[in-house]
Amino acid sequence: MTFLYFDPAMGAMIVQAIVAAIAGVLLFSKNLLLKVKVFLGIVKPKEEDLFDDIDIEKSEIEKKDSSDS
Amino acid sequence: MTHKKAHPASFRDPSGFMFVEEGVFKRQINPIYFKQYLALKDSGFFDKLFQKEVLIPHEELSYSSEQIIIQPEQIPFITYPYEWCFNQYKETALLTLKLQKFSLEHGFSLKDASAFNVTFHHGKAIFIDTLSFDFYIENSPWRAYKQFVSHFLGPLLMAHYHGAQSLKLMSNYMDGIPLNMIASMMPFKSKLNPFLYSNIHLLAKFEGKYNEDYKGESKIKSLSKKAQLNIIQSLYDIIKKLSLKEHSEWGDYYNKTNYSDAAFNLKSDIINAWISKLNTKTVIDIGGNDGTFVRRITSDIEHALVCDIDNNAVDFNYKTIKKNKEHFMLPFVLDVLNPTASIGFNNVERDSFIERIVKYQPDVTLALAVIHHMSLSGNISFEMSAQFFAKFSKHLIIEFPKREDSWVQRLLNNKADFKDYFGFYNIDNFEKAYLNYFEIIEKQSIENSERVMYLLKTRHD
Repeated sequence: MTFLYFDPAMGAMIVQAIVAAIAGVLLFSKNLLLKVKVFLGIVKPKEEDLFDDIDIEKSEIEKKDSSDS
Repeated sequence: MTHKKAHPASFRDPSGFMFVEEGVFKRQINPIYFKQYLALKDSGFFDKLFQKEVLIPHEELSYSSEQIIIQPEQIPFITYPYEWCFNQYKETALLTLKLQKFSLEHGFSLKDASAFNVTFHHGKAIFIDTLSFDFYIENSPWRAYKQFVSHFLGPLLMAHYHGAQSLKLMSNYMDGIPLNMIASMMPFKSKLNPFLYSNIHLLAKFEGKYNEDYKGESKIKSLSKKAQLNIIQSLYDIIKKLSLKEHSEWGDYYNKTNYSDAAFNLKSDIINAWISKLNTKTVIDIGGNDGTFVRRITSDIEHALVCDIDNNAVDFNYKTIKKNKEHFMLPFVLDVLNPTASIGFNNVERDSFIERIVKYQPDVTLALAVIHHMSLSGNISFEMSAQFFAKFSKHLIIEFPKREDSWVQRLLNNKADFKDYFGFYNIDNFEKAYLNYFEIIEKQSIENSERVMYLLKTRHD
């Protein structure tokens, strides 16, 4: 590893396998729950968010769509 | 090769450094980072991020085998993590995660995740450390994960559980809040939450355990890109939903004022007239609450700093800025009685508020309904506050609430037995002290209130 000018912390590198596994389960169950809710038709209307999605590129496409209309 | 003097905060990363040349911030890139820089440039990675306004744009000034010099767009006033309101802090965390996801998808990875890599520009958070991107090594975990937790997730969780003032801790722990401290300050129920358990408690435990591995015998486990993306996504989802528990009692501040709408409008009109007469382009509003008075300025202001001691007021202002998509206003948290100090190695890495404001030199300083708090709550004499404000700018618009004003009376009554000590608080003493540093250009009473507005000009040049 080049350019490592701060302590990446060995523990933090190792623990990520567990953190990721838990995150995977959480994200999976969240999506599943959302699908069930959509199926049952009990999805709450989305509130106006102060912050957008994680995707830098996708958010631009959305913006373009809304400005076109 | 000319030797440039690196900016005192730019020494950690061997890839390059910032330097100032004739007042302009530039960045030198060393050969060790050429490969990364060229890949980022040629693949259009940089351009994409410039276009999305998430990375500070730069232009390449020179290119040789020894160094590449780039000049980033200049930011008029840098704010630091310990000066951000809760939602500003949140935005910087989300931006860092966005960039890491984008990087991973394009074969790169953020090699660090310091909160000091982000600041605010044109009404939004922007990443300013251009050399933070490195090649992604297949199946390697995120090196900056621990740093992300101690710089972003930890402070935000502490603000969530203990109030926004926790964010000020970053001025002491500029390398991030220690993990065991974050873990110890989480409520017990956080151990039952799988996200908090793994990202905070388990991380702190692992860190403690592997800290003792002096021989370096431990092996780093591999982590697939998909798994890393899961971490990034779950961090994003949780941080996006984080809110402050202390509900802003704020918000309706201006309904609690002790003067009528007419007086409020008159005050605003006076400010407007003076601001436009001076052909003002830049302004700082000390104690600017939610930015109401700056927002009511009708002439064209290029840049406005609006600070307040109340994190909630700054937060309210910031949300308004986001909602209105305003670009010219920069809000931040500032305690006039204890302005941000300079910190870091040699005390020169991060500039103090005074150093930054003296460099910034706004055209006009607004100090509305601040002087009575400084004098009566902070025991700051008129002489001291005059000297303080004289550093900021050539012109000062200051509002003086007279002794008879109900807020002043309330503050005086709080002093109980010491009330007499504050006998100095009257308009004559105020003028006398301020005349040592300023001359009075205009003076106007606000009708139907006990307040007087002054337009002052410094005596020195």
